[in-house]
Formats: sequence, C-alpha cells, structure tokens
Amino acid sequence: MRYILLILMLCFAAACSTPANLPLATDNSGIDDEKRLWQRSEDEQKVLTQSGLIYRDDQLDDYLNQVARKLQPPEILEHIPFRIMVIKSPYLNAFAFPNGVIYIHTGILARMDNEAQLAALLGHEMTHCTHRHALKTLTHFKSKSDFLAGVRGSLIQFSGIGKVVNQLGSLGSKAAVSGYRRDLETEADLVGLQLMAKAGYDPNEALRLFEYLKRELEEANTQEPFFFGCHPRLQERVENCKNFLKTRYQKEETGIKNKGVFLTKLHKVILDNAWLDLKAGRFHSAQRGAEKYLKIEPNDAGVYYLLGEVFRQRAKADDTHKAKAYYKKAISLDPFYPDPHKAIGLIYYKDGEKTLAKKSFGQCLSLSPHRADKAYIVGYLKKCNQ
Amino acid sequence: MKKFFLIFLLFLPACAPWIKTGGSYESLPHNFYVNIPQGWMMLDTDRYLLISGDGPFLQYVLIQDRPIEMPFRNTKKKFNRLMLPQEAADVIIDEITSDQSVLNFEIIENVPARVNGHDGFRVVFTYKNRDGLKLKTIYHGFLAGESFYNIRYTAVNRYYFEKDIEAFRKVLESFRLIEDEKNCPGIRVSQTMKAN
Repeated sequence: MRYILLILMLCFAAACSTPANLPLATDNSGIDDEKRLWQRSEDEQKVLTQSGLIYRDDQLDDYLNQVARKLQPPEILEHIPFRIMVIKSPYLNAFAFPNGVIYIHTGILARMDNEAQLAALLGHEMTHCTHRHALKTLTHFKSKSDFLAGVRGSLIQFSGIGKVVNQLGSLGSKAAVSGYRRDLETEADLVGLQLMAKAGYDPNEALRLFEYLKRELEEANTQEPFFFGCHPRLQERVENCKNFLKTRYQKEETGIKNKGVFLTKLHKVILDNAWLDLKAGRFHSAQRGAEKYLKIEPNDAGVYYLLGEVFRQRAKADDTHKAKAYYKKAISLDPFYPDPHKAIGLIYYKDGEKTLAKKSFGQCLSLSPHRADKAYIVGYLKKCNQ
Repeated sequence: MKKFFLIFLLFLPACAPWIKTGGSYESLPHNFYVNIPQGWMMLDTDRYLLISGDGPFLQYVLIQDRPIEMPFRNTKKKFNRLMLPQEAADVIIDEITSDQSVLNFEIIENVPARVNGHDGFRVVFTYKNRDGLKLKTIYHGFLAGESFYNIRYTAVNRYYFEKDIEAFRKVLESFRLIEDEKNCPGIRVSQTMKAN
C-alpha cells in the first residue's frame, strides 16, 4: 500500500512539474497532449491550405516571416518553426495554432500603418505558442463538461470566425482561433509588447493600432471576429498596453516603425482587402481602404474603379455622380481598362441614356471580347438598340 | 429501452414536416406553383420550399421568395427594386463568397436567364463544404415586386448532380408565380395540392 501511495505521489509530482506552465525553453515534444495538439493543428492547417481562403503572395509571406523571426531568439525558433500566413478575410482578426503557424486576416493587416504594429500583433500571437496557451486551455477544460457548450457559445458570438472553426472542427486548438481566457490574453499582451520592444520596435505603435481598431469597431457597431477576443475585452487590452508603456517602457518614441517598407510590401493587401470589404457590403471600410491605397499608388486606375464600385453599389443619394467621376478618372488613367467602361455603361443604361450606355458597353466589349459577363452586356446592347 | 423511445420521440417532430409527394404544388404563402417530381420529399417552411429525391445531403431543390428588404447573413448589401438581374446576381455571389464556410468557390457560369417570363439570372457554381465534399449549384433568381425569387438546385458534384439535372429542369419550367396566374388564369396547372 505504501509503495502504491509512493508511486501515486510520484505520478502527481510528475504531472505537476510538466513544463506546460513555463515558457518554451526545452524540447517537450514528448508530452502527449502537446503532440496531439500539434498533430491536430497540422490537420486543420491542411484543410485551410486547400480551402481557397489563403492569400497567396510569396513576397508578402517572406516579409511577414522575416519580421516574425526578429522577435524571437534562435533557441525558441529552433523549437517552434513559426510560419505566418494570410487569410482572405476582411475581419479584424489573427490567430495562432500551437505549432507556431499564425494566420493573419487581410482585414487587420490592411488597417496597420507600419512594421512596428505588425510586430505588436505577431508578438502577441507568438506568445500564445511559446507560453503554451492552447495546452493550458486544453488541460483547464479537459475535466469540465461545459467545455463544448462554452466553445459553442463563443463560436456563435464570433460568428465569422466560428465558421472557420466549425469547418476546422477540432477541440484543442479551438481556443487558438476564438480567443483564450483573460489571464492568457493578458500574458500574451505583455510578453508580446516586451518582444517588440526588445527587437527595437516602438511599442507605442501597439497602442495606436489597438486604439484605431477599437475605434473602427465602435464606429461600425458590429460584433465580429476580432483580435481582441470580444468587444467587452477591448478596453482591457488597451489598458494592458497603456500600463506596459507607463511602467515598463518610459522611453521617447525612438523605436523602429518602418512605415515605408511596410506599406510597400502591404499595398496590394490593402487594395485586395478593400475589395473584400466591398463584397461584404462594408462600403465605408472599402472606401477607407481604397483611399489609403490611393496615398501609396495615386495613379492606379484599379483603385478609382473600386471607388466607383463602392458608390455605385451603395446607391445612396448622389452616389451615382461620385461613381461616374471615379470611373471617368479610372478611364483617363487607363483607357484600355474595360471594367470602368462597363460600370459607367450600367449607370447610363439605368438612367435611360442609351447612346452613352451603348458607347460604354461597346468599348468594354472591344477591350475584353471574351469577358465572363459578355452575355449580360450583349443583352444591354440589344435593348439599347430597340 | 426507455432511452430508445426518448430518442425516437426527439426525432419524431424533426421528421414530421417532410412529406412524400409529387405533382403540382401551390404554395400560397410563397406565391408560387411548382411541379414536384414523383416520389420526392417536400418540406415547406415559412422561409422556403425544399424538395429532394435522395435526401438534402445529396441533392435538393430550394425555392424561396425572399423579401427584398431582408438582410443577408454574410454581406451587408441589399437588393433594391431598381436592380438589374446582373446586379442581383452579384449580390448573391457576394453573399456566398463572404461566407467563410463556403470553400473553394468557383463560378462556372453567370448569365441572364428568364424564369417564367421574368428577367433574371442563372449562376452555376461549385464549392466545397466543411467536410471537403464538392457540391454544384444552379441558381436562378429574379426580382418581382417586393420579393426576390430564387430556385436553386444543389447536389454532390459527383454522380448526383447529373442524375437529377433533368428533374430540376422540369421543376424550373413548371415554376409559376400565383400573381402572374391571376393576371393570366389559363396557365394554371392541374391537380393542385394546396399548402397551408
């Protein structure tokens, strides 16, 4: 009996000394739960990779991964092969799987202004991996029967990301996507800020980014999947950042920002995300994204066409005039670009200006005779001739 | 045994609205007539009419009259009465592509198409569901009055889609708006089975 008790005590002692509560420092791949989590993560990543949701841009991926590598010492990078990937989604979100694969939505990337803000986000997400937050969540919930109910609740709350999670359908890494519990998020905030500061970035930029995102969400008054976890936690996260800056980082703004490099690498994401915002009917966000892109590429016909589409599709009073002006600007910058010809043709067609409509549709078809919507345009032309 | 009985009771109400049917069907609340293939199952809810020959997980035809003011789930765009069929098709495509549970979405065709004399569109697309199953949909839609009507056929891309495409064509051809029938009563189909 004494031996059994001794063995039991040793077992408990071993269980208590699992390095799950410690930042990653050694190779702990022998831990079953962690192995399982990593395996699950890999399975889910395979699904995501084949989902058509991944934003493919090798140069962007290289850049994001370079920034990520600046934030961690080599011994950590040896244990966790961090990889940053981008998801085509206009939502303001990012999540990390326990095996170091971090997904950032185009929505949050497009709202950033510089590399320091990217570093803030990456530092936060990387901390979830290095500090084993998924494993801690799993062990925390393992014995609780309300785990699934809790997860389901959070999925409903963050409907957009819930769909991704549902589609991924795994247990252990769900928290990685839908947000961790409060103390773990706070830890990720603080360690993330330390990481960015240590790498020479200006942590004040983290606060700027968080406050901007908070403002945008409040303006839109939406409940959407969000990097902050959920709306009531917004202020809490901003406060964490403020406290860090006040107590642990009392320097002048001398840290790295790298705005120029960042915007050069990210400008295409800004435009593509504005299109995603438009698809989602978030006209204001799409307009803001397009205007941000315009500051980087002021002579891009594509962005004027996008602005025209924002106003034509929103269709509020006076929007058609604005749309027409943007289409005309797009055409003046690139007369061989067929889409604004078709779009302005639609406005003329609906206004009953058949001659102008006919001319615009004709120009569109001559520039792009095999376009996917040819049958519609041919139909409009027929009606213009009636 | 008690457990089985309870499970049976739980399933019972879920199964109840499905009716084995066939022939002409008049859905008064939805304002349309349609001819349902013989032996198919039917579910007429307050939001849509769903019919299926092999079960909705394999193939189904869904017919819906959607108030044009009704918001979508994934896009904030809305229909308006002045929209052209192409613009309405774009709203539907944006609604589908903004849904992150729809994977590998691919448009095969997007063309103007008339349904029962109404100018509308036909979009054919494929996508994968969360289980990785490839599905194919033919989506017809048009705006009439205060509603957006849509008739869509979705089936597992492999085998099932081709198998029932002819049945869907017949359903589509049989589709009539009750409002139109009032103006032109001769069109009305026989053997009408009234719903609700």
